[in-house]
Amino acid sequence: MSRWRYFFKRLLLSVPVLFLTMTFIFVLLRMGPVDPVAARLGPQATGAEAERMRERLGLNDPLWEQYLDFVTSFLTFDLGQSWVVFSGTDVTTIVAITGPPTLWLGFWAILLPLFIGIPLGFYAGLRPNSGGDYLASVSGILWQAMPNFWLCIMILAVLRQTHGGGWLGFDWYTFGPEIRSITGTPDLAFLSINSIETGLITVPLLTGVDWGALAVDIKLILPPALVLGSASMAAELRIGRTAILETINSNYVVTAKAKGLKDRVIIWKHVFRNAMIPLVPVITNEAFLLIGGSVIVESIFNINGLGNAFFQAMTQGDLPLAGALLFIFTLIIIFLNILQDLLYTLIDPRVGYDR
Amino acid sequence: MSLHEHAERTTTRDAPIIEVRNLQTAFFTEKETIRAVDGISFDIRPGETVGIVGESGSGKSVTARSLMRLVDAPGRILEGSSVRFTHLETVREYASTFAGRTVDLSALEETYDPVDLFERNEIDATPAAFGYEHAHEVSLADIVAAGYGDELGIVDEGDCIFITDGTPDSPDAIADGFIEITRLSGEAQRRIRGGRIAMVFQDPLTSLNPVYTVGNQIKEALRLHQGIKGDAATREATALLEAVGIPDARRRVNEYPHQFSGGMRQRAVIAMALACDPELLICDEPTTALDVTIQAQILDLLAELQETRDLAMMFITHDMGVIAEIADRVNVMYAGEVVETADVNTLFADPSHPYTRGLLRSIPGQQTGDRLETIEGNVPTPNEPATSCRFAPRCPEAIDECETVHPVSVPVDEDEPDHTAACLHCPTQLSTDQAVEMHRRRNATRNGGDLE
Repeated sequence: MSRWRYFFKRLLLSVPVLFLTMTFIFVLLRMGPVDPVAARLGPQATGAEAERMRERLGLNDPLWEQYLDFVTSFLTFDLGQSWVVFSGTDVTTIVAITGPPTLWLGFWAILLPLFIGIPLGFYAGLRPNSGGDYLASVSGILWQAMPNFWLCIMILAVLRQTHGGGWLGFDWYTFGPEIRSITGTPDLAFLSINSIETGLITVPLLTGVDWGALAVDIKLILPPALVLGSASMAAELRIGRTAILETINSNYVVTAKAKGLKDRVIIWKHVFRNAMIPLVPVITNEAFLLIGGSVIVESIFNINGLGNAFFQAMTQGDLPLAGALLFIFTLIIIFLNILQDLLYTLIDPRVGYDR
Repeated sequence: MSLHEHAERTTTRDAPIIEVRNLQTAFFTEKETIRAVDGISFDIRPGETVGIVGESGSGKSVTARSLMRLVDAPGRILEGSSVRFTHLETVREYASTFAGRTVDLSALEETYDPVDLFERNEIDATPAAFGYEHAHEVSLADIVAAGYGDELGIVDEGDCIFITDGTPDSPDAIADGFIEITRLSGEAQRRIRGGRIAMVFQDPLTSLNPVYTVGNQIKEALRLHQGIKGDAATREATALLEAVGIPDARRRVNEYPHQFSGGMRQRAVIAMALACDPELLICDEPTTALDVTIQAQILDLLAELQETRDLAMMFITHDMGVIAEIADRVNVMYAGEVVETADVNTLFADPSHPYTRGLLRSIPGQQTGDRLETIEGNVPTPNEPATSCRFAPRCPEAIDECETVHPVSVPVDEDEPDHTAACLHCPTQLSTDQAVEMHRRRNATRNGGDLE
């Protein structure tokens, strides 16, 4: 089986996963403890009005018909309306508002560990048992051992101290692009998009980037992203170190050396690509965790994101919102899984090879 | 090949291509210093296969890695070791490329006399360590190659090409000289690796990088040493794969190592080693991980390649059967030392060292009784300079003196100078007492006395 056939097979496998999740959400919504009518009209609603609502929500139809309706509407991204948290608002609208900040946070929370954790791990792995290795490894463990909620508060406390040039000697508020508050939702309006009418369809076109706004958005997201990515940074550091050590002692590296290759070529060509193989699942798995972990960080840093919305929907029994968000999370996870398979397929030619 | 070249080849036929003298490689751990290779000497000639046999832990692989300079920390080649690569064309090429690191020894010989140098304190060695009985036999080349030149202020740290006949100013006219492998570093070292000395490793399943195609890994060597790129490199790689007997090479060149079987992979590794037309091929147990039929095929392939390319080969194995098939000369190693050297027929017909006899007896099918005979016990870790025979505790023929006298390599028989053994029972024409006395005297020389 070729690599790409294997990848295509993995792609197909995500379809049953998607249906299983939707079925689970359906069961949760229809058979869960919350009565949709009561949630809409209040617990005292009875009689004709309640009956009309039942009819309107399609609760009197046969279960299989309800299931089909549910699946088709989810697949067409008709995710229904929120009951409680943002009563009456379309879930798609809520996602359009809360999604971008979370994605922005997640993006940086993946990027920072990727570009700090892995290089540090590789550095430590290439110089095992040196001072630099011990420093990187110990700080990695320390960094991982600090719980996110505590780290959030500490970072906030320290950054607040710098307001007006505190004892750290620099002012975070005016350092680089100026910000008024160190918490809050980034507005992400740095892209100016104009639409061109081409008669039939409207094509959105990127017409410019407001670099100042971008800088502010990045500055705002860095502290929470650092906290959110802290655990993965440490994990990637440690696994990167082990992966390098394992690869550098492997026979094919000795073969490469015996061939007379320069150290630089050996490391960049023969060591790095092989060392990346065990890191791929670590990176993508950490990305899954970010979704769950972002709830705490979002509420402490006062970011109005998906995590926050999901948390509220869960605590207030807003089942359609919770279900829809769960569905979106599933989509993200399936996407990450596919990305992981794609990365594997690109890096390792042995993928999908079975005799 | 022109007549002139041919004549030159035949005259240099018997000159060794690599000379190993008193090679010592030790590993420095917190607990102890392990002398994995402890003062071994041998030569390899073009077209010749030198076999190295011994149990696991006798220092065979470390010897190979020392020749390739692949010994990693905490291991290190000690001062006093010398590995001279004497291939004339390479010496000429190096002398013109690395002119700054070339030393004209014939000019230095006029100023320095080895005997005088020995009397100075910087040299922590005696003539015996260089394989001679008297100081006047030691040449300046021996002293400088062994690394004592730096302390005596004769050569600089980076110097590694030594000309003994000719002058560095006209590299093409150099008639004799050598590259001292233990002094190589940087670019000069990398050019030797793969380009002049190539190595085939024990486990073909792990010695190819799994994420690159076989062709890519062969082309890498071609580009590095011969500057062949692109389509020409692909054609050359295909030709190499064909030369090592891989069918359908045109398709195979674009396949990954995991798509090759074990035997095919070893063929691919050999193709890679041959890519740069090396003068010396070191095979470190190349057939150990393969099954017996494939093993025979690989041995045939190596013999064939050796014949067509006039390769010098160093073949490491613990399998006496393989040695009998492929080697011309055999060095038997035990605990970091060469205990017996002989050509292959002599060794099998008339083994002199009790260890060699033990090894031969333990080949299945060679034993006299029902049970397979083995050598009791294990190879000791050579963690101290030898003051006794390291094999004595396991030796069935040990005498009391074996515990107190370290045997040196001596000819087994006066008539056969090429057959040497390090055993107190040798030379055989002497009585045991006389032999022991001779070994004791040689040791005394070694530890600093006789400097005439």
